[in-house]
Amino acid sequence: MTSLRTETAPAGGAAPAAPPPGRARRWTASAFLAPLIVYLLAFYAYPLYRNIDLSVHDYTPRAFVQGDPEFTGLDNHLDILSDEAFLGALGNTALFTLGSITVQYALGLALAVFFHRNFRLSAVLRAMFLVPWLLPLIVSASTWSWMLNSENGIVNAALQAFGIGQINWLTSPDTSLLAVTIANIWLGIPFNLVILYAGLQNIPAELYEAAGLDGANAWQRFRRITFPLLRPVSAITLLLGLIYTLKVVDIIWIMTRGGPADASTTLAVWSYREAFGTGQPDFSPAAAVGNLLILIAFVAGLVHVRLQRREERA
Amino acid sequence: MRAWWKTAAGVVLVGVMLFPVYWMFNVSLTKTSDMRADPPHWFPWDPTFEGYGAALGQQLPALATSLLIGLGTVALTLAVSLPAGFALAKLRPRGGRVIDFLLLVAQMIPGVVMAMGFYAIYIRLGLLNTVAGLIVADSTLAVPFGVLLFRAFMAGIPAEIMSAAQIDGAGTWRTFRSIVLPLSRNSVITVSLFTFLWAWSDFVFASTLNRNSDVIPVTLGIFRYIGNNTTQWNSIMATAVIASLPAAFLLVLAQRYIAAGVTAGAVKD
Amino acid sequence: MNRPSVSTKMTVFGTAVLALSTLTACASTPQGASGSGAGSGTAPAAGAYTWWDPYPQHDAGSAWARRVGSCGEQAGVTIQRTAYDTTALTNQALLAGQEGNAPDVILLDNPAVSTLADAGMLSAMSDFGLDANRFDKNLIAAGELDGKTYGIPIGANTLALYYNKKILDEAGVDPASVKDWASLTAALKKVKAAGKKPITFAGIGTEEGSFQFLPWLWGAGAQLTRLDSPQAVEALELWSSWLKDGLAPNSVIGNSQNTSWEEFLTGEFAFGENGTWQIDSAAKAGFPTGIVQIPAKDGGAAPTPTGGEFITVPVQKDAKRYDVTKKILECMTTPEGLVETGTAFAYYIPSTAEGQAAILAKEPSLKPWVEAVRTAKGRTSDNLGTDYPKISEAMWTGVQKALSGAASPADALKEAQAQAQQAVGD
Repeated sequence: MTSLRTETAPAGGAAPAAPPPGRARRWTASAFLAPLIVYLLAFYAYPLYRNIDLSVHDYTPRAFVQGDPEFTGLDNHLDILSDEAFLGALGNTALFTLGSITVQYALGLALAVFFHRNFRLSAVLRAMFLVPWLLPLIVSASTWSWMLNSENGIVNAALQAFGIGQINWLTSPDTSLLAVTIANIWLGIPFNLVILYAGLQNIPAELYEAAGLDGANAWQRFRRITFPLLRPVSAITLLLGLIYTLKVVDIIWIMTRGGPADASTTLAVWSYREAFGTGQPDFSPAAAVGNLLILIAFVAGLVHVRLQRREERA
Repeated sequence: MRAWWKTAAGVVLVGVMLFPVYWMFNVSLTKTSDMRADPPHWFPWDPTFEGYGAALGQQLPALATSLLIGLGTVALTLAVSLPAGFALAKLRPRGGRVIDFLLLVAQMIPGVVMAMGFYAIYIRLGLLNTVAGLIVADSTLAVPFGVLLFRAFMAGIPAEIMSAAQIDGAGTWRTFRSIVLPLSRNSVITVSLFTFLWAWSDFVFASTLNRNSDVIPVTLGIFRYIGNNTTQWNSIMATAVIASLPAAFLLVLAQRYIAAGVTAGAVKD
Repeated sequence: MNRPSVSTKMTVFGTAVLALSTLTACASTPQGASGSGAGSGTAPAAGAYTWWDPYPQHDAGSAWARRVGSCGEQAGVTIQRTAYDTTALTNQALLAGQEGNAPDVILLDNPAVSTLADAGMLSAMSDFGLDANRFDKNLIAAGELDGKTYGIPIGANTLALYYNKKILDEAGVDPASVKDWASLTAALKKVKAAGKKPITFAGIGTEEGSFQFLPWLWGAGAQLTRLDSPQAVEALELWSSWLKDGLAPNSVIGNSQNTSWEEFLTGEFAFGENGTWQIDSAAKAGFPTGIVQIPAKDGGAAPTPTGGEFITVPVQKDAKRYDVTKKILECMTTPEGLVETGTAFAYYIPSTAEGQAAILAKEPSLKPWVEAVRTAKGRTSDNLGTDYPKISEAMWTGVQKALSGAASPADALKEAQAQAQQAVGD
């Protein structure tokens, strides 16, 4: 796998606009990259190996302690794929992830554009948007489950004022996925806002000035200048958002434990529950689900690189 | 006129966004017997300061530890990811795409598995229960993000500026240090912010690698209020409120800094 | 021009070498070099014994920490105590077991004892000559696996129904009238008619949910080995009917025992199913409270599950350490010691007859709780052992399905039984 990628790499390096990469330049590049490569090898290789090792053995707690697990090949993966909960968890993951990242991105972008033109207090207000990130997840997730409580939650109390009856946000299989998605969107807005805002700052102001002279209105300026020039930053924001959202466990775990009746169980929650959510740790199926998530991220990465290459050619 | 309208709208937006934070504040002042009142109390009319008493009395050292870990993680993350991001964006190294992939995959390794790996390594190095160990572990949350973000942003620095510097006779390091770094101020602050916040809110690494009661971060400190069958919510929420203050101050400072330096202007000159 | 660039290369090189040496260091240090030492990875001082417990709420200056420390002193060593939250403790213990640096003593939640014993991590009490016969049979059962005792209870707790006397008086309900399910449900309906909330409990999808459901399951005459028996279905139908009829709030589906207790403390609820550990909190509530035993379906007290931590002794390479460990354990479980532990935790009921007599002499009001503990039943007993966590997971999943309306109680338990059988089978 690695050798295959290395072969394709020079193709990317030889994009037409680039100056011919000389030998000296390669060396400099390697020197700049060296800390990262050492870092990746030192801190990620072992855990990655470990995850694969866990997933192809049958690690009962006993085998885990004694270090003598039975090798089971792909059985754990097959068990996961044929489990009746699998399709449900996959669907929940898709809804949760896509719902979260699209809404986070849209709101984050809208807010970034809103804050782009400085106005009184804009810096302070923008900073306030990051405050949700300062809270330990156990606090923010607990606060959300507090607010969404069926009987004594503030959200239902507010809705009641508008004549809307009790919604069992966290305790009904129909709404629990929606409820955790809302909380997750709230958590993700700061991330999108900050990165997209930094991206907007990098768009040269004179482009807007030129467009302003041509009589373009705000929407046209956004569509013709902001959005296209923001594309690389948008792509990385969405990609990272996807990866982080795929991994989300804490918030769902604290709010609903993936329930009721698995209604808010995503792949990541499933993996966590197998390993730590019950009295009986099952590390192997947990790692197999983890591998599946890595695979999804891998595919998303492939798509990203493809799109990026097309952009570079254009 | 227009600016005032925007400020007002901004305040409303912040209000909506921070409502859960207000709610946390509200709970921090609520007596245990009122916590599940139905309908809930919008304001803590009959406040208790028990939670704040406990948090101030017990959590200040943990707060300092968290701050130290956060800043250390930022430094380490920048040291590793800045040069790498620059190399990937501008130097077209051999195997750059492989690294891209590795970075993406690396981020998908479940936190718990990462923590188990670190545990196995640290126990041999004697790094369990050390601040340095936690800084290294926490930086793994941010380094891939840092590299990818720097790469995305530095790719936008016009090639002419770079080649102009090279013609002036500046070496790659000097180009990096005196041209690329100043132009990357926004992204450096962005990465620093998130790195800090991730390290600040990390729980998985702290709970696996750092249990010694002398140097625990505040995310672990909170667990002293969660007993087997009891939970002191007002103390937990009070700790979160107190812990947010210094960090919120840092955020406001950093954000002002972004606003002050408009990169586009620097490029124009 | 060259100087900065040279210095960079040096820096980069230096970083690389540093990181590499880190790598090789971890590769070359032999496995288990840190020995059976402290959790910190440093070699333990000769007289230091390591102790893990799940009580982070009791910090270094607490009565509990002093008690642990004094038992160490009596045995001639210092104890290094580390507190983990309950969920982290089992995982941390497994990790430490794998790395061969388990502590000398771990206090474990009782279902976890079987798991770690089965993993071969724990030494049996008989291995170092500790007499386990003093402890109540029903309590110590959770520490037994295949005829050996791997842990001793430092105390026990269990469940009962707390009631709000004010509400019951207003609704005209006599708590003594609650003798079986029918009379309980009738009492709940009276409370509802009086405009108050009848009952709250914890139906959360975790071990706590199973813990709270067990008195009803056992009280109906059902067994954990057959979750889909008609009796078990009756128990779940009782809970679901309470939700359907508005006798219990919908939030019980997500309630932990703590949340459910907070609901009870609002003073709006007539009954709350909760445990021994809330005795102090109940006494401080803004209304008079009392307890009744959880009734069985056809009358009498239902068997309630026992909760509480067990002292376990992980396997050590250096067998000489056990002598001191034994002294520490004995110090923790003298009658006076058990009473002290019991009050430090507000409340734990002592796990030996002598200890129970001693605490009753001090606190006569604990009598109903002591009785409840005597009739209580271990979750892993009936020789379920390590099967219990699997059955329990299936059970709480079924309870969640039925309460949230995703399935009827009968269907939910049929699925639960299938899930449990599959999990236990492999």
